[in-house]
Amino acid sequence: MTDTLTIPSRPRAFRPATTEPTVVKGALIALCLAVLTVLLFAPLIAVFEEALRRGWAFALASLSEPDAQSAIWLTLTVAAIVVPLNAAFGIAAAWAITKFDWRGKAWVFTLIDLPFSVSPVVAGLLFVLMFGANSALGAWLVASGFPIVFAVPGIVLATLFITFPFVARELIPVMLEQGRAEEEAALTLGASGWRTFFTVTLPNIRWALLYGVLLCNARAMGEFGAVAVVSGKIRGQTTTMPLMIEMFYNEYLSVAAFTMAGVLALLAFVTLTLKTALEWRYADQLAATHRH
Amino acid sequence: MNIEIEEISKDFGTTAALHPVSLSIPSGTLVALLGPSGSGKTTLLRILGGLEFPTAGRVLFDGADATNLSVQDRRAGFVFQSYALFRHMTVFDNIAYGLRARPRQSRPQSAEIARRVTKLLDLIKLPDIGARYPSQLSGGQRQRVALARALAIEPRMMLLDEPFGALDAKVRRELRQGLRDIHDTTGLTSIFVTHDQEEAMELADLVVVMSMGRIEQVGKPEDIRARPKTEFVREFVSA
Amino acid sequence: MTARPFTLRNPTPMPGWGLSFGIMVTMLSVIVLVPMGVLLWRGFVGFGAGGMWEVVNRPRVWSALELSFRAALIASLFNLVFGVILAWVLVRYRFPGKRLIDAAVDLPFALPTAVAGIALTAIYAPNGVFGSVIQDTFGIRVAYTELGIWIALIFVGLPFVVRTVQPVIEEIDRETEEASATLGASRLRTVTHVVLPMLAPAALTGFALALARSVGEYGSVIFIAGNLPNVTEIAPLLIVIRLEEFDYDGAVAIAIAMLTISFALLLAINLIQIWSRRRMGAV
Repeated sequence: MTDTLTIPSRPRAFRPATTEPTVVKGALIALCLAVLTVLLFAPLIAVFEEALRRGWAFALASLSEPDAQSAIWLTLTVAAIVVPLNAAFGIAAAWAITKFDWRGKAWVFTLIDLPFSVSPVVAGLLFVLMFGANSALGAWLVASGFPIVFAVPGIVLATLFITFPFVARELIPVMLEQGRAEEEAALTLGASGWRTFFTVTLPNIRWALLYGVLLCNARAMGEFGAVAVVSGKIRGQTTTMPLMIEMFYNEYLSVAAFTMAGVLALLAFVTLTLKTALEWRYADQLAATHRH
Repeated sequence: MNIEIEEISKDFGTTAALHPVSLSIPSGTLVALLGPSGSGKTTLLRILGGLEFPTAGRVLFDGADATNLSVQDRRAGFVFQSYALFRHMTVFDNIAYGLRARPRQSRPQSAEIARRVTKLLDLIKLPDIGARYPSQLSGGQRQRVALARALAIEPRMMLLDEPFGALDAKVRRELRQGLRDIHDTTGLTSIFVTHDQEEAMELADLVVVMSMGRIEQVGKPEDIRARPKTEFVREFVSA
Repeated sequence: MTARPFTLRNPTPMPGWGLSFGIMVTMLSVIVLVPMGVLLWRGFVGFGAGGMWEVVNRPRVWSALELSFRAALIASLFNLVFGVILAWVLVRYRFPGKRLIDAAVDLPFALPTAVAGIALTAIYAPNGVFGSVIQDTFGIRVAYTELGIWIALIFVGLPFVVRTVQPVIEEIDRETEEASATLGASRLRTVTHVVLPMLAPAALTGFALALARSVGEYGSVIFIAGNLPNVTEIAPLLIVIRLEEFDYDGAVAIAIAMLTISFALLLAINLIQIWSRRRMGAV
């Protein structure tokens, strides 16, 4: 603003037509920070505070107990089985849906999303009904020494159900957007189907795939409700990390419960960090509008 | 209404979008701000509409200082390049928007609003599209609806940002005449921004040629064509 | 040139139809469709609609179902309003720590529900940091009451509306807001009459996702709820209890009741969506 001109009245600072008054801005930012502090940050801090209440050594000792060790091991095992299967499904479904035209696509798309609107507890119930000792199939499986419910296969199945849409949902929009031209070009140049997939398709979708795998893994390792129903909670055998947290908590082993929770919270940090890094660097190669 | 622009300048950070420019526009004139992109013509239009605030200088409407007048109080009928129609509202609701936004004491009765909207739809020669949504209109129809919406607030002037920019050549020619007709009917001082010299020359009473944030020449179309003041104007006009 | 012959079954040279379609259909069937079919068969054929109604039509079951849907609706409504505000703040305003906040919004997706459950309980319990303050100043108990369930469900559903609305705000044409201002509308009116209607379809999608998620939520709720029958006992917990009693029919009936209500709600939201999208056209 120059002083050479006398501007008669300037009642208020000029505000562009697409912004709110500073007071409103400040109030909204403050509101958001307050709610997020009370809802997100405070609980997170509480986890570590409770875990370290009796010091690092005590917390770490609780992790080296056999029950805790086997829970960690089981969770890693389940994730190692579920995530690759889920990724394979996601890639296959995305390929079938985006590279071919067929009737009923929209229906299949809806069915893939179905597990999102089913309670985890109901998901667990499904497999108890199918393979539990009360069903003919289940009784036969138990008799032949291959129980599914109250055993690791049931945990894997329930986790697969819960994480079912993750990779497919991430890949389908990305592959739809990329179209078929590049694959067609590779085919005209004489590449085989698998060669086309590995040299053309996969490089184009790798970040989206990683993104989906990341979310799938986080959910697989953290699933509680569905696993609680099918696992039978046999200590040292079918107790995953989230279930172990509940057991410790109910036994008033607060430090052990919160230490285990802290480990999973660290996993969540890693997931969020990698996810954010992917979003910043490869935003154009992700289905950003569908993210969650 | 006559418009007086006194030594208006505008900086965006360290770059100057407008060097001090002055311009006087007599009441009822149809003015073209003509220039290539980056010449500052849209910035000048937005300052007149109250969408940008000048770094220095004054704007006077009928001799009264309007520099600090808020967008809402300016009553400038602004037609945007993208038309910016509200896509969740019918054409009728779009046109009625400005009247309904008035404070209660000056807001017309709803029957009166309906009457005015109908009149405006007649003026733009689209009497039957009130119930439609913008997505159901052609580009030319959208432009005319945007014009009607701006006229509904009984503006003191019309400001149009590349009003024909998004249209194909044939529709463009039809609508030029339409704009001229509406200008002549309403008698409002109208300023439109364009990069198309043919459009400016054909339509405007007064052409303001701009380049690099400066006014190169102001004059009637025939004067500019016959006696270009600078090399830039000569080249731009002959292109 | 290796010209591939066209076959009638697959009128495209693209390879991998059989394999990809086969994997997709097999896994979809084994993991999702057959188990869901078994549930419905057990309920409608094995147990019968009348038997299921008898199970559901008891005070304890009714109050659990009511609680689950009421709390989910309340939490999702909170998330609808707060989510739109947060998305707006994250897209339009600049403030220190914004990127951190943006990343943190996804925490409820990444943090296991059991962790969230015990953590929220720790701070909202009567002896917790916030719990004690709230009790002392307002005389309200948070944990072990319905209020605690709301908090847990708000946590769980927080990211959905933010993440669906954010990209829409990014794409709003500023000229639309400017047009409203030039027509004389105050900023408040522009926001309520122009901006919010444009965000409504996306916000509704986010609301539906949050609702679907929080109706069935179990892990984060059971720690903070107190689980008192008829008072703070949610429907998923009642299913677990029935299963522990080996009352499979009871569990099936409650599960089918939950699914039915959920799908009715989601269908209704979807219809509103289609209606509002159609109004706006494909622009």
